[in-house]
Amino acid sequence: MNDHPRPDRPTLTALLPVMVLAVGLHGCAKDDDPAPDPGPPAPAATVTLRLEHHVDGVPLLFDTVLYANEAGHAYAVSHLEYYISGIKLLTADTGDVGPAIPGAFLINAEQGTTFDLGALAPGGYTGVELRLGLTPDLNITGALPNTIANVNMAWPDGMGGGYHFMKFEGHFLNGATPTGYAMHLGRNENLPTCIATADLQLDGSAQTLVLRFNLNEVFRTPHTYDLVSGSYSMGSMMLMGLLRDNCADAFTATMEP
Amino acid sequence: MRPSALTIPAATLVLLCTVACRRDVPEEPSPGTHTTPYSLDLPANFPAPIIPASNPLTQEGIALGRRLYYDTLLSQNGPFQGFACASCHHQPVSFTTPTSGTNVLAHVNLAWSTNFLWNGKVCGTLEDVMRFEVEEFFQVDIAGLNTHPDYPLLFQQAFGADHITTDHVVKALAQWFRRMVSSNSRLDRHLRGEIILTPEEMNGAMTFLSEVGDCFHCHPLPLMTDNGFHNIGLAGSFTGFDVGRYAITGAPMDMGAFKTPTLRNIALTAPYMHDGRFQTLEEVVEFYNSGVQHSASLDPLMTKPGPSLTLGLTPQEKANLVSFLNTLTDETFLTDPALGSPF
Repeated sequence: MNDHPRPDRPTLTALLPVMVLAVGLHGCAKDDDPAPDPGPPAPAATVTLRLEHHVDGVPLLFDTVLYANEAGHAYAVSHLEYYISGIKLLTADTGDVGPAIPGAFLINAEQGTTFDLGALAPGGYTGVELRLGLTPDLNITGALPNTIANVNMAWPDGMGGGYHFMKFEGHFLNGATPTGYAMHLGRNENLPTCIATADLQLDGSAQTLVLRFNLNEVFRTPHTYDLVSGSYSMGSMMLMGLLRDNCADAFTATMEP
Repeated sequence: MRPSALTIPAATLVLLCTVACRRDVPEEPSPGTHTTPYSLDLPANFPAPIIPASNPLTQEGIALGRRLYYDTLLSQNGPFQGFACASCHHQPVSFTTPTSGTNVLAHVNLAWSTNFLWNGKVCGTLEDVMRFEVEEFFQVDIAGLNTHPDYPLLFQQAFGADHITTDHVVKALAQWFRRMVSSNSRLDRHLRGEIILTPEEMNGAMTFLSEVGDCFHCHPLPLMTDNGFHNIGLAGSFTGFDVGRYAITGAPMDMGAFKTPTLRNIALTAPYMHDGRFQTLEEVVEFYNSGVQHSASLDPLMTKPGPSLTLGLTPQEKANLVSFLNTLTDETFLTDPALGSPF
C-alpha cells in the first residue's frame, strides 16, 4: 500500500534544522504574503565610487614628488581634502541628467577614497556631472553631520559660512625657495561644476565608478594659475574664481568591473 | 529527565533563528554586569566623541579612572615614583602646570583627539595613549593594584574583573579622560545665545575667524584644535626636541611640526608653545603677527598673501585677539568638584 518507508526518528531529526532555519529566516521577512510574486527584476548591485588622484598621469604622492604645473612651477602636495556632491550620471540616449546620487562625500586623499553609492539603474551613460564642493543646500553652517572632519572643513560665518569645498596645500619652488601654498575654495559663487564625459555601461553587477582627479587641471584651462601671485586663495574671490573655472575639467571617469 | 532527541536540535535552532533576526548586534562590552551607563552632556555643536565600543562610559569606570588619575600609587614602581597624573595636571589651570622646558599639555577635551603628546608619539584612541602611560611612562605596578585593599573591588565593579590587568587600568583612565570635557566657556555660552560677548571680544573673534588673523584653520570651533601637526615658524632650523614630529616620522616636511594644542582655557595655561618660550598671550599674538620664520617645512597655512609672513595687525586688533582668547576660559570646567580629587 505504501511503498515508501516511514522516516525514522534520526532522519526527521536531521531534517529539522533545515526546516526550523527556513521558518526562522522567513520570520524575519517584513512581507508575509505567501504568494510568490516574480515582481521586478533583481535590483542592481551596489556601485562603488573610488577617487584617484594624479598629476598628468603620475600618481599623487604626498610631500615627496615635485610636479610641474602649467605656469612652470615645481610643486609638491602636502594635503588634499575636498567634498564632492550633486553627482549625476548623464543618460546615453538624450543627454539629459540621469540618476542623481544624493548627499556629499568628503575625500581626504591621504585616507580612504572609496564610497558606497548604492544601487544605480543599469544602462548606458555618457558621463558624470558633479560639484567639486557642496551644493548650496548643503553649504550652510551646520548642515552636514557634526563630525570632527566636517568641523575642520568649516568656512567661518564671517566669511560667508558653510564649508571649505577644497583644501589643496603644499609647497612650490619660488625661484629656489620652497614656499607654501594653500588653495582653499569655498562660497557658493565659487562652486565648480565638473563634467567628465565617458562611455559608462552599468550592467547591474557590482561595478566601481572611478573618478580620477588631475591636480594639474587646477592650474590650467582656461586660466594659467600663477602660484607666485596666488599662493593663498582664501579671502580672494578673484583667485577662487580662477580655481572654480579651472576645476571644471579636473575629473575623468571610468567604470570598472 | 533526559531531553529527547528532538528537543535539543529544536531548541538550538530556535536560538539560531533568533540570532539570524537580530541586526547589528554589537559585541558584548567589557564592563561589569552591574555598571551604570554614563552619557556625556555635550552641546549640540560638538562632534560626537570617539568612544570605542569595547570601552563604553560607565559611572563605575569613570569613578575608578578619576581615582587612578589622582593616586600616586600609579607610579609606585616606575621612574616617576610618588607622582600621579594630577601631580603635573592641575585642575585650576586646565589640568596643566606652569613649567620651563617641555610644556605640559592640558588634559582637556581629549575625547576628540587621535594624536597625543607634542610630537604625536602615540596616535589612535585614548586607550592607546593610556597604554603608553601605564606601561612606559608610569610603569604601573599591576600586582600592587591586585593586592591593594580597595582597588580589586573597584575594578570588579567597573569591569567585572576578578584579576586586574593593564587593560583594565587603561580602560578606566581612558573613560576618565573622556569625562574631562570643557564646553561652557563664555564663547560656548555666546554661541548658544546665552550671553553676548563684548564689542572688543567680538572684534577679536572676527580677526580670529577670518584671514586677518587666520587662526581658525588650525584652531577651528568648537574644539579649538584641528588635531593636526604644523610647523608654525618658531625657528628657521631645528635640533633636539624642536624637530617635533620629524622625530617620529622621519619625514622632512614634518621637521619642526608639533601637535596643535587646543586653545580652551588658554589664558590659564602659560607658558606657551611646546617649549614654553612665551609667557603671555600678547607675546604669542605678536609672534604670529611678526615673528614667523621661514623654513622648508613651514606649514602652508602660515603662508600669507604676498611675500611677507607677517599679519600686519594693528595694536587694537592684537588687543582684540587677546580679549577673544580670554573668552575660552571655562570656569565650570576649572572648578567642577566632580573633576577634582576624590581623596
